[in-house]
Amino acid sequence: MTYLRRLPKFEYVGARSVREVSDLLARRPDETRLLAGGTDLILQMRRREVAPRYLVGLKGVSELAFVRQQEDGGMTMGALTTFQDIETSPLIREKYGILSQTASQIGGVEIRGVATIGGNLMGAQPCSDFPAPLITLGAKVKLVGKDGERLVALEDFFPEYGRTVAAPDEILTEILLPATSKLSGGCYLKFHDRHAMDMTITGAAAFVTLNDDRQTCSELKIALSSSAPVPKRVKKAGAFLQGKKLTEDALEETAALACQEAEPRSSWRARREFRLELIRGLTKRAVRQAWEEVMATANGGRK
Amino acid sequence: MKQLLPISLNVNGDSYDIAIPPWRTLLEVLRENLGLTGTKKSCLEGQCGACTVLLDGKPVNSCLLLAVEAQGKEITTIEGLARDGVLHPLQKAFVEHGAIQCGFCSPGMALAAKALLDRNPNPSEDEVRHAIVGHLCRCTGYFQIIEAIRDAAAEMARKDVQA
Ligand code: FES
Ligand code: FES
Repeated sequence: MTYLRRLPKFEYVGARSVREVSDLLARRPDETRLLAGGTDLILQMRRREVAPRYLVGLKGVSELAFVRQQEDGGMTMGALTTFQDIETSPLIREKYGILSQTASQIGGVEIRGVATIGGNLMGAQPCSDFPAPLITLGAKVKLVGKDGERLVALEDFFPEYGRTVAAPDEILTEILLPATSKLSGGCYLKFHDRHAMDMTITGAAAFVTLNDDRQTCSELKIALSSSAPVPKRVKKAGAFLQGKKLTEDALEETAALACQEAEPRSSWRARREFRLELIRGLTKRAVRQAWEEVMATANGGRK
Repeated sequence: MKQLLPISLNVNGDSYDIAIPPWRTLLEVLRENLGLTGTKKSCLEGQCGACTVLLDGKPVNSCLLLAVEAQGKEITTIEGLARDGVLHPLQKAFVEHGAIQCGFCSPGMALAAKALLDRNPNPSEDEVRHAIVGHLCRCTGYFQIIEAIRDAAAEMARKDVQA
């Protein structure tokens, strides 16, 4: 038993630059895996779910660890940005509080200090926490491959369970976020068993922008974790609130639409019916909290 | 697959030059190559915190980290906490509060606590709880551990004032 719980064998190269990673990946794309924080990959290897022949270590690729403000008011962060960086970065806390809030809900300090945003996205697990809030923010990812680079909206990044649209030779290098309006705010809430340490059973992210009247919704985006084979944006639910005030009835209808669009499955963690109940409850709470955040910052003038 | 990688690790201020296959985790190397068995091996999945060590002062699960990737960092294990045979205030407080029963979680708990106190010398109860959220203890029920950590913080603050 002990023997089996050792890692399967592989050859290892510690890369120093994106260029080098790209070259190594292009050589044997199907047999190579990139190792970022390792909190998922090492586990999967130990369980023999994957056994890559070559591992390219990314920890030394310092050009992928950054958080930068953009001239247009947006922000970009490197794929090696850790959950802890996201939790504590003053820039992210101020402009994209939903992301810091998400980070603080994942794992313990030991995990947050090493797990990376790039790893979280490339893992393409429906229970990953970052895709949903990032989708509501309108995030794009930059993919770099042997034939150049391209940008993909995160919303279109997960075509089916466990997969991304990245080609085998492409690496995710950074995540780009558009500027947010002063009258906007977000919230990500999730349900899981053991506080902070367990897999997300269901999660809901909401990002709302109000009209100048500060009473009606200009745009609402809602996305769900662990509620479909892929991280799922529920468009009808978001669109429903547009132009409306936040009333109990409107909120109820929004949540009902989110449940209709979601496709949760039954697993040993939770049955489909239970997940639907969670989606309803979490969606309502996330939208309400996002809305309240806008009101608080619009009146208190934080941003 | 041939690869034996020559690596050099800095553990508790000592440097070790060894050759290991790349698939060895830091946990395995600490326990099996260096004989530092204070770091405990349990779930091997990042769930329990028993294998926690400090890397440049930050707590990490050594079961999820390849030893090759720990090069160039200052690694602190529980063996590095006591100085010249004198227990660290955290270790003393753990003993005094009955925060150790079987002791299996204690090295990880103590190191996570050290990392917390190094950056936040006067943590609230809530902050202590958050710092050990990634650690399981089957014996104590956690309260003694939380009290021990807060007590150690107070003790260290007192010493600082005296010094
Ligand atoms: S043995 Fe590493 S976290 Fe449990
Ligand atoms: S003292 Fe036994 S596990 Fe904590």
